Amino acid sequence: MPKKEMLNKAIVFDAGIMITFSMNCILDILRDLKKSFNGKFIITRNVEEECVKRPLTIKKYKLGALKIKELVDANILEFPESLGISIKDIETETLEVLRESNSIFRTDHRSIHIIDEGEASVLALNYLLKKKGIDSVIAIDERTMRMLCENPSNLQKLFEEKFDTKVIMNKINSPFFKDVKVIRSSELIFVAYKKGLIKDKEILDAMLYGAKFKGSSISFDEIKELESLV
Amino acid sequence: MQEKEHILSILKEAKKAAKSENVFVLKSLSNQTIHAASIYEDNDNIMIAVLIYSLGKLIERKRNFNNTDFQEILDYYLKIIDDSIFFITKKDIDSFSSNLKTLIQKTNTLSKHLKESLQDMFKKAQINKASKVYEHGISIEKTANLLGISIWEIVEYTGQSSIHDQNLTKTMDIKKRIKTAIEIFS
Repeated sequence: MPKKEMLNKAIVFDAGIMITFSMNCILDILRDLKKSFNGKFIITRNVEEECVKRPLTIKKYKLGALKIKELVDANILEFPESLGISIKDIETETLEVLRESNSIFRTDHRSIHIIDEGEASVLALNYLLKKKGIDSVIAIDERTMRMLCENPSNLQKLFEEKFDTKVIMNKINSPFFKDVKVIRSSELIFVAYKKGLIKDKEILDAMLYGAKFKGSSISFDEIKELESLV
Repeated sequence: MQEKEHILSILKEAKKAAKSENVFVLKSLSNQTIHAASIYEDNDNIMIAVLIYSLGKLIERKRNFNNTDFQEILDYYLKIIDDSIFFITKKDIDSFSSNLKTLIQKTNTLSKHLKESLQDMFKKAQINKASKVYEHGISIEKTANLLGISIWEIVEYTGQSSIHDQNLTKTMDIKKRIKTAIEIFS
């Protein structure tokens, strides 16, 4: 019975969120959260490339990458194969996500290429997990993917504002972007606090701002609101 | 390469601004190419944006160099601009692209001690331009790939900007998102 439950939940991590945790030296929170999580923390091979393999070749980020690698080596972070999803399946669906996501917005008769492989692989895996009946949440700190899944009209407005031109948005029917549950590093930190893994409110505050300043797409107002919920 | 005439005029204006040491104009010219770069994924536009922005930074930091060194680097930039104008005017876009790439990446003709300074300025300019592309709504990974840099380099920079405080980026009530997080861990 416990084994069956174990397979019914997963959090799919994007590269950005791993980088945020690593840069703030708070990867241990993921270790602790995993202990109380009745499911798997998953990264795709593309995400591993972005947050481990590639930075291992850059001296400035090598240590951060090694710290993430430790989580992979300790099976805190696992690969989709551990849930019976093959690399080939992910590759196929990733291409489909890329094809669909990069043809949603158009300007001057040209589509805007908005996301790339690693990000697309997260959505592809999320879709495959749901197809298998696994309750899946994606953990991303990146803004564009979150907007694409939750409020693409806002993304269209942002493009129009920034490009100073009319942007057409095609209707989104794809299951890849439908009912995607998104959390950020800030919500993971909040859950860690609620579970007593972070003992002090001051540390919670420091971690939330630390995450924001290392790229998590959360606003100052949202942090204040989040802290008022403690 | 998109908007050749526009790029040509930007390069000519950049040369003028560099000679009059007008940093404000250089930064503004650099930003103009980012729109096209973001929409068309045009590496040439991106390299021009990086080139002009870093040229502005050089002039801004003039006092950090002695006159000879400053003039050597400035001449190097002006040569890149002249070469670029030459190739675009001749409609030889392949040579324009490869020449621009080589001069930005290799900096071989510069004195050894200046190479590092220039590479550093180019790197900082790349990160700055990456944050501009990201600000336009392009994802962080796509931006990193366009600029040829790592996501790690961009997140530090964007985290200190106001990009994530813009109203449009808020897509869900925080209580609802917290509920999602708590539920998955329950």
